Amino acid sequence: MGVTGTFLMALVLGTLAALGPASATFADDSQAVMRAHAAQDEAERAARWKALQHAIFGARSLTDGAGVIQIEAPEHALDAALVPITLTMKSATPIKGLYLVIDNNPSPVASHFTFGPRADPRTVKLRVRVNQYTFIHAVAESADGRLFVSQQFVKTSGGCSAPVGSDNAEALKDVGLMKLHLLGTFAPGRPLQAQLMIRHPNFNGMQMDQITRLFTPARFIRTIDATYDGTAVFHLDSDISLSTDPVITFGFVPDRKGTMQLVVHDSDNALFNHSFDVPAG
Amino acid sequence: MGGRPLACIAFACCVPWLAAAASAVEEPAGYWMGPTHGPVAASVSGGTVIHTRKLAALLKAGDVMVVDVSEAARRPANLAAGAVWLPLAHPVIPSAVWIPGAGLGAISPPVEKLFRERLALGTGEDLAHRLVIYCHKNCWLSWNAAKRAISYGYRRVYWFPDGMEGWRAAGLPTASAEPQLP
Repeated sequence: MGVTGTFLMALVLGTLAALGPASATFADDSQAVMRAHAAQDEAERAARWKALQHAIFGARSLTDGAGVIQIEAPEHALDAALVPITLTMKSATPIKGLYLVIDNNPSPVASHFTFGPRADPRTVKLRVRVNQYTFIHAVAESADGRLFVSQQFVKTSGGCSAPVGSDNAEALKDVGLMKLHLLGTFAPGRPLQAQLMIRHPNFNGMQMDQITRLFTPARFIRTIDATYDGTAVFHLDSDISLSTDPVITFGFVPDRKGTMQLVVHDSDNALFNHSFDVPAG
Repeated sequence: MGGRPLACIAFACCVPWLAAAASAVEEPAGYWMGPTHGPVAASVSGGTVIHTRKLAALLKAGDVMVVDVSEAARRPANLAAGAVWLPLAHPVIPSAVWIPGAGLGAISPPVEKLFRERLALGTGEDLAHRLVIYCHKNCWLSWNAAKRAISYGYRRVYWFPDGMEGWRAAGLPTASAEPQLP
């Protein structure tokens, strides 16, 4: 809590004290306390986003993304380590980049997509870790360099320390294995959605090994590159906020029958490379 | 990870069976080695459970050492050089000393040395000095740390299971603190 928060609390306590000894300072359900608490939280959240905006985008200005970018996330996520996010973009101008920011995570930039000529960036889905109640911001960058922002609040917590499984060796089994599902029928030149599944624990360094009781060293996916017949679909810069065994849904425009190549690079400098025929088989 | 405010409120609200099971957990014989977050025991042998209202009164009376044993965010060594790393500020009960790691079931020797030294310093090496230990609601770290302090011989250990969430929900003031690390 910053100075503002402390001041607000002082204000509330002062108010309650003025009401006399009968109105207990500890009335947990006191409307005044609750309201001040909410106002304080709101001020803190706004300040947090302002700080992040500065850290990520510097002096660039962000405009309201209503009608351009939309976030769908569960308001109450049951599993904080697997929060599904859907980002939908409906821009008249082409979108070249997409940022997903989880404000209250210590490493807030969960992903930054850069779309290539073969991309259909209208819908992107992924699963992330959420450490505590937080705003999630999605920022779309248009080809002409404008930034559009949308936000949603998510109530869940503990995603960063949630263990990956009961056994780290098990979690690392088949690391780098990939599957690609086409979520529609292939037709040359028609946009197609695909779901990419990558076997990777994406250890964030804050999870405890259930057997040794020590923190498991971080090992996470840094980048994913998708190309179709050699032309870029997307480049993703990722981080420890991506869930274990990432699942990413994205769109692309296959101009002909071809090959989707996926290259995943992790923080241990392991490189995983898989190619998939489109259409499958 | 640092500052997990509201962590357990979320647990209690979103997972009704957890909330229902909250009072059913027996005190383990040793340190709690299970997941950090979840329903906790109702007592700690050799210590006293204290709730928000009484704690505020106790602190007002003075001569109390307060220790926060919440986890701190850990920056992965291999995070990209340009990555934005901005853990939230960690609010503590005013005057509290924040010692991450002191409540782990298996404590590392350097953290244990630091924990013992800070307790000795904060209590003036007086085993009868009042000691309050907390982290978050439904968090075993403070239970473990309280048990550990009792094992060192402290005779007036108060475990505050309401944690930072309970403290803030009562509208009580907080301060900022830096983690004490070995």
